[in-house]
Amino acid sequence: MIVNTLKLICLFVLATVCHWAFASFFAPAGISVNMMLVFVTAFCVYLKPPFAYTGAFICGLFLDFFGTKLFGNNAFTFTVCACLIDSMVDRFDFEALFPQVVAVFCLTWLASLLNAWLVFLFASASNWPGFFSLLGGAFIDGLCAPLVFWTVGHLLGRSSLCRQG
Amino acid sequence: MSFSSVKNPLHKHAPGVYRRLGWPVFFLLLSFLLMILPLEGFVASVKAVLAYVFIPQVRVSHQAVAYGQDVSHTVQELLRAHAENEQLKQEKERTQLLAAQAKNILAENERLTQLLQLAPTHPWKGVWAQVAYREPARWNTVVIDKGSEDGIQERSAVIALENGQEGLAGVVIETTDKTAKVLLVRDEDFSAAVHLERTGEEGLLMGDGPRAVQVKYIPLLAEVEKGDKVYTSASSSIFPAGILVGEVSGKREGDGFQTSLTVYVTPQIRSSAIQEMFVILDKEISR
Repeated sequence: MIVNTLKLICLFVLATVCHWAFASFFAPAGISVNMMLVFVTAFCVYLKPPFAYTGAFICGLFLDFFGTKLFGNNAFTFTVCACLIDSMVDRFDFEALFPQVVAVFCLTWLASLLNAWLVFLFASASNWPGFFSLLGGAFIDGLCAPLVFWTVGHLLGRSSLCRQG
Repeated sequence: MSFSSVKNPLHKHAPGVYRRLGWPVFFLLLSFLLMILPLEGFVASVKAVLAYVFIPQVRVSHQAVAYGQDVSHTVQELLRAHAENEQLKQEKERTQLLAAQAKNILAENERLTQLLQLAPTHPWKGVWAQVAYREPARWNTVVIDKGSEDGIQERSAVIALENGQEGLAGVVIETTDKTAKVLLVRDEDFSAAVHLERTGEEGLLMGDGPRAVQVKYIPLLAEVEKGDKVYTSASSSIFPAGILVGEVSGKREGDGFQTSLTVYVTPQIRSSAIQEMFVILDKEISR
């Protein structure tokens, strides 16, 4: 159990580093990349629901930590995404590349729309990154998804935290 | 079959459904609560607590990204160094080739010297010194930062480099332990036996202060042209033979009673440009 917890912590650190790195790299080009969402999707595919929801919530809180207008919107959005993945995981084969890419691509759009709506609703502010910025971000998220899924899947293996464990 | 034995499917799945819905509902409610609360007060406290968890993450992330950028920079530096290394290797090969050619030329020179029974020439030995002081009113004299402790003696010849070519700079006229005074070529008190490279005619080089340096006592019928190179002569008691002094810039037009030619010379080494000097120490060998 300790080893599995350590693995989860390592994955969380990896997610934050990747998110930070991609955001730093693509921000000057005006592309809104959300690597944290890719990791959340992978967590929800591989982990059992309690761990998946907790992971999604914490990852959301990490992004909320940097927000200034509203707190909890990313946690809410990621939890909704976790719900969607949890409901789809039995219907789709997320071991294949195509479902991974499509799921992440669609979830990026959904998360951004929901996030923008929440910020508009609760803080009366705009959080819309722009269509092309989001399109580019979703595209990059989708491309990175197979690698992230592979990393998370191989690191967690068939531990007791996983659905197949 | 008793009535009570009939199992309700809803009852069978209810705990699983509740368990399945419990987590998302809990987190959705929690995040909703965080959203509706004002940013001050409770949310600020939550953020403060989260700071202890997330700030190290952020620091690690930032350092990792910075390290990654450094790696990229280092790789670029390595690639550039690799390219420079290749270039230097090629230059080294060219230099080795030149050194081999020079070795052959030296051997040929030695052989020809023996055949012609000429006195062998030796490389000059001496010390490099920097100009430490210039007299403001008298630019034809400089003080260098080496003296008798370094083997410099009075009447030592001094050469310097300009545009990659060595040339006669002057002569040491005074020494102390750590400094020496050098009289430059332009000074009125300076003189040296020289010869013209093209014709071999000898003369006496004399400085003339702010005016052009002159070579006097050249035979009257000697053919002198503008641009002829002037070198120190083997008959000089101070200067080793073969040091470039300068080139002829003109001929003095005199009256009809002159018995020798006087030509003007542009020195190879400009007095104002001298920064470093080479003081030749082994006069005997050099000669």
